[in-house]
Amino acid sequence: MAHYLHWILFLPLVAAAFSTLFLRRQGAIAAWFSTATAFTIAGLALKVLLTGGDVTWHIELAKFGDISLGFGYLLDANARLMLFVVSFVAAWIHLFSVGYMQDDEARGRFFAGLSIFMFSILGIVVADNLLMTFIFWELVGFSSYMLIAHYFDKDYAAAASRKAFITNRVGDLGFILGIAMCLSLYGTLNFSELAQLKPVSGFPVILGALLMCGFLGKSAQFPLHVWLTDAMAGPTPVSALIHAATMVAAGVYFMARVHFMLAADVLNLMAISGAGMAALAGLCALAQTDIKKSLAYSTLAHLGIMGCALGLGRPDLAVLHMAMHAFFKATLFLGAGSVIHGCHHEQDMLKMGGLLKKMPLTAATFIAATLSNCAVPFFAGWYSKDAIIEAAYEHNFAIFAFLAIAALATCLYSGRMIRLVFLGEANSEAAAHAHESPWTLTLPIVVLGLVYSIAGGFLAHSLIPASALGVVAKPLEEMAFHLNAPATIVGLLALLLGFGGALKFYGLTRGKDALQVISPRTYHLLEHRWMDGLYRWYIDSIQQRAAEFIAFLDLLLINGVAVRWIAGGVPAVLGYFTGRSLHRGQTRGYALWIVLGTLFLAWFLIAR
Amino acid sequence: MDTFPATLLQVAITAPVLIGLILIAGRSLPRSFASGFAFTGFALPALIAPWLLVLWINDATSPLQFRTDGPWGFGFALNGLGAPLLAMTSLIGLAAGIKALTQDVEARNTYLGLILFMLGGTLGVFATDHLIGFYFFHEFALIPTFILTLFWGGEGRRTAAMQMAIYLTAGAMASLAGILIALDAANLSFANATFVNVADSLGTAKNIPAATGALVLFGLGTLASLFPFHSWAAPGYSAAPTPVSMLHAGALKKFGIYGIILLGLSSLNISQGTLGSWFLWLAIGNVFIVGLICLTQRDLKQLLSWSSVAHMGPIFLGIWICGASGKAAGLDAAVFLMVAHGLSCAALFLLANAVRQRAGTYRLDELGGLASRAPVLAAFFIAATMASIGLPGFGNFWGEIGVFLALRAQPLWIQAIVASTVIISAIYALRAVAATFFGPTSAPLTARLETAPFGDINWIERIAASILLGASLTIGFMPSLITKSTNPVSTGVANFSQRTTTAPAAKPAAPAQSLPSAR
Repeated sequence: MAHYLHWILFLPLVAAAFSTLFLRRQGAIAAWFSTATAFTIAGLALKVLLTGGDVTWHIELAKFGDISLGFGYLLDANARLMLFVVSFVAAWIHLFSVGYMQDDEARGRFFAGLSIFMFSILGIVVADNLLMTFIFWELVGFSSYMLIAHYFDKDYAAAASRKAFITNRVGDLGFILGIAMCLSLYGTLNFSELAQLKPVSGFPVILGALLMCGFLGKSAQFPLHVWLTDAMAGPTPVSALIHAATMVAAGVYFMARVHFMLAADVLNLMAISGAGMAALAGLCALAQTDIKKSLAYSTLAHLGIMGCALGLGRPDLAVLHMAMHAFFKATLFLGAGSVIHGCHHEQDMLKMGGLLKKMPLTAATFIAATLSNCAVPFFAGWYSKDAIIEAAYEHNFAIFAFLAIAALATCLYSGRMIRLVFLGEANSEAAAHAHESPWTLTLPIVVLGLVYSIAGGFLAHSLIPASALGVVAKPLEEMAFHLNAPATIVGLLALLLGFGGALKFYGLTRGKDALQVISPRTYHLLEHRWMDGLYRWYIDSIQQRAAEFIAFLDLLLINGVAVRWIAGGVPAVLGYFTGRSLHRGQTRGYALWIVLGTLFLAWFLIAR
Repeated sequence: MDTFPATLLQVAITAPVLIGLILIAGRSLPRSFASGFAFTGFALPALIAPWLLVLWINDATSPLQFRTDGPWGFGFALNGLGAPLLAMTSLIGLAAGIKALTQDVEARNTYLGLILFMLGGTLGVFATDHLIGFYFFHEFALIPTFILTLFWGGEGRRTAAMQMAIYLTAGAMASLAGILIALDAANLSFANATFVNVADSLGTAKNIPAATGALVLFGLGTLASLFPFHSWAAPGYSAAPTPVSMLHAGALKKFGIYGIILLGLSSLNISQGTLGSWFLWLAIGNVFIVGLICLTQRDLKQLLSWSSVAHMGPIFLGIWICGASGKAAGLDAAVFLMVAHGLSCAALFLLANAVRQRAGTYRLDELGGLASRAPVLAAFFIAATMASIGLPGFGNFWGEIGVFLALRAQPLWIQAIVASTVIISAIYALRAVAATFFGPTSAPLTARLETAPFGDINWIERIAASILLGASLTIGFMPSLITKSTNPVSTGVANFSQRTTTAPAAKPAAPAQSLPSAR
């Protein structure tokens, strides 16, 4: 089996290197080449999923002192599912990109970036130790940086790429410290060895908290969530693949993998902050007019739900929701991409409207995925989200309440999106002349959307043997529809109030946001980015000023006073004995030093 | 032992020096002859040294290999720490040489000859096991550096060269005093004054003055821009001509650290007692304080110069932890980082000069949007930047992560300060990338495009940069190329460094064991 994994992992790296070196100007070839590798990988991943069976394989890369740093695979049920989800979604997004990026001059670079991203994310999936996870973790950050900066001549894209990379690195700082602590305490970084340890007093809280930092950064959890909405500056397929379906899910996957190392306090924190973020981000999505940014907040909300599931001690549910979310959120983003493409690069939802008739295929899939997003019973999102709300109800009422708000908010912003984009009348020239997208764009949406968002749950049973699904088999089996279960009641109420209400409410005004018209204050409260403001203030008023001050001190004290004084003083004293010859010229002065040194050396050698 | 590699080692060091002599003596040699000669001088070591490293790791049994008698009484020999550094220097030398050959300068033959001297001297430092030989070659490489900066440098060269000369001379004097005291205490004759013998003898030496370790650490530390002896470095690199900056910041600076390892760490307990805590704090100063200073830079070359000072911090810390708690991992990682930093830093200086040739300035506020004009240059520059901020795949990652892991038993806040380098360096490096390459084309650049249109980087520049980045990627994917060479030696050095703390129990009779050597 390990040889399959070699192919899966290194094929994209080869594709990326080949495209970078030879296909920079042959964008069309690079696009199809990259897409072909992506589908090959998806096929291999499906093969691995269906074959089943765990894989362990390890080699040593280097030895620093007595620390052995290695590279290896640990393929368990979790990893097989993730491998399939990532490669399958990615393959279709590659195909979508072929059409979407058709007119882009830098297609070669774009597809090389996608391939590098594939290499990185697949590395995280199969990694068998913390260090290897970290390596690919960093590479994911890099590929995200490059792809967000695709339109680098725009200032906002340049700024967004930097923000994403640096925010991720803030999280990675904690991750590194966690790795070092793990090595220090247990002498190994290998997942299977760590899992067998079972220390008497449990794993320390601080270790779990440090490892969680990496998750906070990569999965855009509070307070490191600020980069994700800006990351929408990248091309839409990138938003779909990286910033909705896979990269942000990598954090959830990693937490599920090291779940046994997280102490109870860490889990509680994750549950509360995840649920809180889910509620808040869902409401913030209401105050966005850019369709991609609104979806980005929706992603934040779902990541919060996944974080909450992890915190509730149900990593299986988190992984299940991640898989379902990957399908419907990728569909939503690709649908948004198709809408943007159809409306001649208009992203403002207030300028859309009435697209249901003009782009029927896109609309149908988008609405299907939206219903999945809202957790309508028997749609993919329902299977996992409902179970998480159920778990929260058993665990803690506050978390349950937050999740209920989140469910309501989800229905609200979903209804708003459908109302503004697809219903009503066209609100701009661009929307009036919209057209359905070509097949390279619609086929991926149809496959991902209709097949997987709607029937994800059913199909998972019939398409894929339960043994292959492994980790999610249990929650899937447990799933049942009880009308009197609190989660179901909450879900249905949210649907009725939220979705229906939003459809009605956002029909009140035309070309304007109803909430903004009726209550500008509330709108502003939700739109304003409080944490961004806080960080901006820290960077400008504290960090940069401290740096300037230290640079000033360095110039004044070290370079100025200490050095000049000594440098002036010593030659002055020497000059007293040497007839001030040192003052005549710098080069000559130096030559004198050398002569003195040589004489001193000669004396020493002869005298011995 | 096989003598053929030994001969090759001798060729690798003497060829640049001899060719340099010919060029300086033959000032009026025709341009094409001179270019051919000089290229041979730059290329020969780059062919030989990496091959010697491969030979070395295939047979890393004895501590020294390829031993020969050199012409000046001290022989050449490679040890496991010097072999990767020698290979690194030879590659930087080749890239710097290619750059120098394309430059149009006054007194070209002398210029090329002096750069060859720099290269030969630096190679010599890493290929000698003799203390006086080490000192000799280090001066041999530094003197041309001053002259090159003074006569061929850019803006502010006179002040920079003078400041550099004063600092490095003072540092050299202090370290020479330390070396001589150590030699005296070890009671060795000139012929036997090798690092290994010194380390062996000092274990039982009776009367070594307390400050010897400090002299060596601060003296050689000045060469390597240890905080707060760093003030010369940024102006010095900035003012020097590009090939000199590449060699100086990339390779020459490392021999100060190499000396600290082989003499200070092995024999003089620099990581223990009061001196040890000073060492720790100063190294943290390199990481944190100089890192913050980098945040305030507004000039691309100044920023690269300062960041190359900041990047010395983790190297020093790796050495410190090796001496403080006998963790060979710290030394392995430090040497790894020395090699990787040399490559990435030289590549950045090379590419920054390509930016300057096109845009006519290093000022970040005047640059901007260069990537649409020169996409390949941008790709190279981003790759080199990513290498320098420790992206996995490039060598620097292994060095940095190795140092972090070696520090794992330290208090968490110390680890946090050290690891904060991953954030600080990302902030200033990416800021520079964005200011130079991203965004719309800046107004000064648009104006320049009308007066002096420019294109992407040419093939010669690409080859030079590819040599350096290719090497960094190679060790990034195959880190054992370095660690297999360094690991046996660093384990030995780590054991040596622990003698005063562990030996008294074993050999209570030897009075020197209980003498604190550097407190």
